[in-house]
Amino acid sequence: MAGSGGPWGGGDDEPGDNNKGQDGRRGNGDRRGQPMPDVDQLMKKGQEQLRVLMGGKGNGDSNGRGPGGGAPVNPINRQNLFFTAIGLALIWAYLSFYQLKPEERSVELLFGRFSSIGEEGLNFAPWPFVTAEIVNTTRQNTTAIGTGAGGAQDNGLMLTSDQNIVDIEFEVVWIINDPTKYLFNLKDPEGTIRAVAESAVRDIAARSQLMPILNTDRGAIGRLLEEEVQATLQSYDSGISVVRVNLLKSDAPEEVKDSFRAVQAAQQERDRLQKEADAYANKIKAQARGNASQTAEQAKAYSTQVVNVAEGDASRFLSILREYVKAPEVTRKRMYLEAMEQVMGGMKKIVMSGGAEATGAVPYLPLNELIPAPKGATN
Amino acid sequence: MRAIYVIPALVIVAAAALSSIFTVDEREKVLVLQFGEIKQSIDKPGLYFKVPFIQDILRYDDRILGLTTTPQEFPLADNRRLVVDAFARWRIVDLEKFRRAVGSGGIEAASANLGAIVNPEVRDVLGEATVEMVLSSARVGLMNKIRDNAREKAATLGIDVIDVRLTRTDLPQQNLTATFARMKAEREREATDEIARGNEAAQTLRAEAERTAVEITSAANKDAEIVRGQADAKRIAIYADAYGQDPEFFAFTRSLTAYQTALKGDTTSMVVSPDSDFFRYFLAETAAAPKP
Repeated sequence: MAGSGGPWGGGDDEPGDNNKGQDGRRGNGDRRGQPMPDVDQLMKKGQEQLRVLMGGKGNGDSNGRGPGGGAPVNPINRQNLFFTAIGLALIWAYLSFYQLKPEERSVELLFGRFSSIGEEGLNFAPWPFVTAEIVNTTRQNTTAIGTGAGGAQDNGLMLTSDQNIVDIEFEVVWIINDPTKYLFNLKDPEGTIRAVAESAVRDIAARSQLMPILNTDRGAIGRLLEEEVQATLQSYDSGISVVRVNLLKSDAPEEVKDSFRAVQAAQQERDRLQKEADAYANKIKAQARGNASQTAEQAKAYSTQVVNVAEGDASRFLSILREYVKAPEVTRKRMYLEAMEQVMGGMKKIVMSGGAEATGAVPYLPLNELIPAPKGATN
Repeated sequence: MRAIYVIPALVIVAAAALSSIFTVDEREKVLVLQFGEIKQSIDKPGLYFKVPFIQDILRYDDRILGLTTTPQEFPLADNRRLVVDAFARWRIVDLEKFRRAVGSGGIEAASANLGAIVNPEVRDVLGEATVEMVLSSARVGLMNKIRDNAREKAATLGIDVIDVRLTRTDLPQQNLTATFARMKAEREREATDEIARGNEAAQTLRAEAERTAVEITSAANKDAEIVRGQADAKRIAIYADAYGQDPEFFAFTRSLTAYQTALKGDTTSMVVSPDSDFFRYFLAETAAAPKP
């Protein structure tokens, strides 16, 4: 066998030769049986059948009723032959037909060369000439970056252009949009997506400063990432389509988070101080306005009052004057007497005759008794 | 018993037939060796034949392969150090050349060779750049330069380097602490600034408000005094107008009013002489009418 497992064998004699058994396509294409039949087994089976046909003693595995038991038998037992043929046909059919679920597509290879794409339902790939690789084309696969899924180095920390460190975590959600390209062009699609996404996010971070990354909405960074990852995968002709990028986190690193929170608290504090000052300002301004209105109103009131009083007084005086002019002497006297009557009537009085007859005597005036209150009134 | 000879003969013929047929998959390239000599290089998939037992086939992956370099730390043009790693995507284009250059080590050996090409390229290209350049939009240009250089060199291995990209361009571990400390200091500066600005704004607002209040109050007082003054003036004018018609009579009536208000009540004691005008008729001997 020339040191190899067989002409179609899966075995290889080259250490670096990567055969299909380990192509890292976990879960995406489950294999329809062995792509190439094992030659040893084939030959063994063939020998077995030959021996049966020749009338030898079979192991009894070709069908249930092997010709054992000593009795001479017809070397070519028609019944045996028939059942063997049926059995082989069934095995062959089992190996050749396969079904595809709605979310699956298959890539069929005729002697290793691409022949067609299998759609959902029952498919036929005549064994051993055609092999089929099944790929799930609608399942959304997720590759997480920065969450530690890619090893200890995958911590999401990266440098920004102002040489700060930012912590970005995200998921690339992708589907296989071209099974042929997906199978034939990339050896390690998942690893490629991871590497490309990681490179892209670092590229974006390196082109931006820290604060814009933290402040811009996540959608913008997500879109940028999606574009860049998609463009790179496109350039590899990978058959992969990026559905979306979920930005899980774009934040300051854990080590400095407290400081960022302190800034936020300070911003709130600033706001609070301003609001309080604003409240105070509004209060005293309103107070001042109120006081001003009060002052103005009081002044107006005073003004009106003073003028009214003056006008009243003046009017009264003029009225009196008008009548007085008609009979000044009499009116004058009358007014004087009326006023004096009122004044004198209410007060204590001592009438002292100061005529020439009394000049010899000094009148005694006990002022202390006369004055009840400290404020005295003397003539 | 001819069958005894027939069966082995058939088996040998079948085995020979089978071992002369082989397929080449879409994902493979195949070398056909005859006693170690390269006879044929196949890069199209399909069914092929070879001379059994004499010729041997070697299968190689025809897909895009990955290479991730180990992180390397080195100084850049501005003497600042960065830890850099990169990944390359490559595929075998010239199988014969590849085999001759790489030997029997296959893909693994090729990866090692390619790593030995890419790593120095990364160092060389970034070594001429500054940290600012690496952390800017010039990064793409640097990556492309690394890729082009690596592609040129890797061509001798029969390899096409499809892409080289920088992944990590990070600060060395021992610089991280300093960087974090700097970031913290920056934040603290910002926080202090925020509070200071808050206080500034608050103080300004308060002072402005107080000023406004004083302005409003004083303006109101001024206006009030003006109004009062005008009213006083008007009063004076009114009084002057009225009383000016007979000042003497005004003095008389006003005096009487003043007496009435000033000497009100029984709090006042008065010593009067009956000679006063009020008592003109009080002790008069004659109540006769004055002579005409």
